[in-house]
Amino acid sequence: MSKYLKYGMLAISLLIGFSNNAMADDEGKALFGQCRGCHAVGADAKHQFGPVLNGVMDQAFMIAGDYDYSAAFNKAGESGLSWTDETMSDFLAAPMSYIPGTKMAFPGVQNEEDRNKIIAYLRLFDTDGKRQDTASDETAALTPVVTEERKLASDFAVPEHGVFKLGRVALTEEINAWDIDVRPDGTGLPPGSGDAITGGELYDAQCASCHGDFGEGTGRWPILAGGHDTLTDDRPEKTIGSYWPYLSTVYDYVRRAMPFGNARSLSDDDVYAITAYLLYLNDEVDEDFELSSENFSDIVLPNEANFIADNRNNEGFRSISIDELCMTNCADDAAVVTQRANVLDVTPDE
Amino acid sequence: MKIDKGDIEKQERRKLLKTGLAVSTTVGASLAGVKSATASTPDPLITEIQDWNRYLGDGVDARPYGMPSKHEAEAVRRDVAWLTADPKASVNFTPLHKLEGIITPNGLCFERHHGGIAEIAPSEHRLMINGLVDTPLVFTMEDIARFPRENRLYFLECAANTGMEWRGAQLNGCQFTHGMVHNVMYTGVKLKHILDEAGVKASGKWLLPEGADASHMTRSIPIEKGLDDCLVVTHMNGEALRPEQGYPLRLVVPGWEGNMWVKWLRRIEVGDKPWHHREETSKYTDLLEDGTARRFTWEMDVKSVITNPSPQAPINHGRGHTVLTGIAWSGHGRIKRVDVTVDGGRNWTTARMDPHSFSKSLHRFYYDFDWDGSELFLQSRAIDEFGNVQPTKKQLREVRGVNSIYHNNSIQTWHVKQDGVTENVEIS
Ligand code: HEC
Ligand code: HEC
Repeated sequence: MSKYLKYGMLAISLLIGFSNNAMADDEGKALFGQCRGCHAVGADAKHQFGPVLNGVMDQAFMIAGDYDYSAAFNKAGESGLSWTDETMSDFLAAPMSYIPGTKMAFPGVQNEEDRNKIIAYLRLFDTDGKRQDTASDETAALTPVVTEERKLASDFAVPEHGVFKLGRVALTEEINAWDIDVRPDGTGLPPGSGDAITGGELYDAQCASCHGDFGEGTGRWPILAGGHDTLTDDRPEKTIGSYWPYLSTVYDYVRRAMPFGNARSLSDDDVYAITAYLLYLNDEVDEDFELSSENFSDIVLPNEANFIADNRNNEGFRSISIDELCMTNCADDAAVVTQRANVLDVTPDE
Repeated sequence: MKIDKGDIEKQERRKLLKTGLAVSTTVGASLAGVKSATASTPDPLITEIQDWNRYLGDGVDARPYGMPSKHEAEAVRRDVAWLTADPKASVNFTPLHKLEGIITPNGLCFERHHGGIAEIAPSEHRLMINGLVDTPLVFTMEDIARFPRENRLYFLECAANTGMEWRGAQLNGCQFTHGMVHNVMYTGVKLKHILDEAGVKASGKWLLPEGADASHMTRSIPIEKGLDDCLVVTHMNGEALRPEQGYPLRLVVPGWEGNMWVKWLRRIEVGDKPWHHREETSKYTDLLEDGTARRFTWEMDVKSVITNPSPQAPINHGRGHTVLTGIAWSGHGRIKRVDVTVDGGRNWTTARMDPHSFSKSLHRFYYDFDWDGSELFLQSRAIDEFGNVQPTKKQLREVRGVNSIYHNNSIQTWHVKQDGVTENVEIS
């Protein structure tokens, strides 16, 4: 009992002392979410598409010796630049104009305060990825005791709706904020438009770093274009053009999940433009095509008809009944190995 | 019940006695080579006082949340780095060869994320029901906790489990070939209760659950399934959901592919048609040899795998009494029977089922046998209560080709060599 009291008091004093730090940490961490698609920080951080950013502040450019920087970055590094609050803020505002030709295909963080919070967050990690501020962790662990005046049970309102009378009515603004799903018949498409040329610019800046200049994919990132007539090949290439049944899925998915690590950052018109460009990359439309909520449903993707309902129940082997199962002497000759996993041993190391 | 149990125990004792006898005679017959059953020098672990016999260990304040013994460091989830481009849209695997019984410990349930693990404070989480309902609603976690709740044990299998094995034996270990399955006791609310609260309109035929993570995961689910046995859950194996399993709220879709069990569940829309979103068009559709692709292949078919012995758990004890064990499951219901073969399917024996049998849950089977030291080809074949029989690889490939990725429920073969080393193979 007394132990908890002590923690409660300690927590309050810690909160006063470190509340600013803890807040910068929380907000900075959340803002760093936009970077996490490509960068990691912390003790176990590994290079991803971008280098590990442990201890990057106050260091010369290119902190990671074992990371393969672009030529543009190498050149910038040679000029002796280092990461100060100022250079980092300018860089993060518009990485691709700060270092033209960088691999960091990221449009930038417009808001200066947000940039400062990200920089403060980066400063929390030393070069080994160790946190400089154990204090903020402690404040999180030792939650202060909140004493709120308690309402009488009879003072709570009970809603009218439903069976158990739980929850509250959702407001239209709330539904609109979350309900962004689009269906093949066009239900859910927002008004707007965008052309493939604009889409190409957006794509080069925000998508090409992972998905390749022409949607061909880089490394193991997904391929978005090509693969026509490969579905019956030994190694089919499933892309928007060769496989996806509906264009609405492209619009819906890009709007809800891309760019990876910065979801919901594109405007509705941006998504129209990028969708138009992805159609162009898949040879479905011309370079100057404009996609809009009006003409969206006119587009039919070539593979739509090749999707069929689940008919696994008709598969021949399913008619075998339990009584027909062979239990003894089911084959004349002994079993012989025809293939081993060891031959193409791809099992990860223990 | 009691009589049954006694009978089983008696049988076990008789079996043990028999095999015990066999061991002592074979040891007597040839003492050379294999580890002797008698010791020539006293075991110091017995004759000497060990540290842990003398010094005090940690007190009750040392481990506020207990972790496994440090000697169990091998029992961890593992990933296959080359499978996907980024660990935040990737998968790791449950170490099935390290587990017993039918419950998967929370920290070992495999993970599959599409935008990393969302870390959400329950006070900041909301569940919205909208679309074709009388009253669109928003619930807090406190509201969810006030619905009548229940406990259910269900397996969750990723549709891509065993997907790497379509073209042939690839990965050496049941953790990698079959580890995208786990079995958990969930606590939660019938989805029906939550939908009834909003009042589904007669035109409402489909549900679209959506996650709050950076992938905003969505899947279309027919309303019949939603009203039948789906749950909205807050707890797994008695404690709050783990962040990587969707804390604070996840959808449970019993028997159906894992991708539909939307984590960090924040919204369910009711509609009159399916949405055909990315995870039910580009992914989770099954390409067949003729170029057509099946969609909405929701149910997970009857399946089993031997977890010990297996490539990561070879036989180290030499010939003699050997315990073979494994797991079986079916998205249709209960497992009725599992047959085991040690000669690659020439002769089959029906395995002993552990009595804990729940619908759409993992089942545990055992086969105790006297290994004579010759090479073995181990396979298991599960049969569910509706008579669905686990197919061979050949049967599946004949009807589907090798490019389906998903829903590979075929019979797995392990080759145990004379030194006990075990490999993933395909056989004639
Ligand atoms: C689309 C992937 C991507 C995103 C998103 C991204 N970066 Fe980068 N970043 C990179 C790549 C790639 C490089 C290496 C640049 C090069 O070689 O041209 C890089 C380089 C950097 C560097 C230079 C490191 C050094 O060693 O000098 C910093 C600092 C940096 N990024 C910070 C950030 C921050 C902060 C964010 C989020 C606001 C962010 N990045 C978002 C891909 C990304
Ligand atoms: C940092 C790397 C990265 C960037 C930048 C990025 N993506 Fe992606 N993209 C991914 C990953 C990873 C996936 C797969 C996610 C998953 O499996 O859940 C993906 C999936 C996709 C898919 C679905 C592919 C399929 O076959 O199902 C589309 C379409 C897509 N991205 C479009 C875009 C567009 C458009 C942009 C730019 C606005 C973009 N992406 C930016 C990494 C990236």
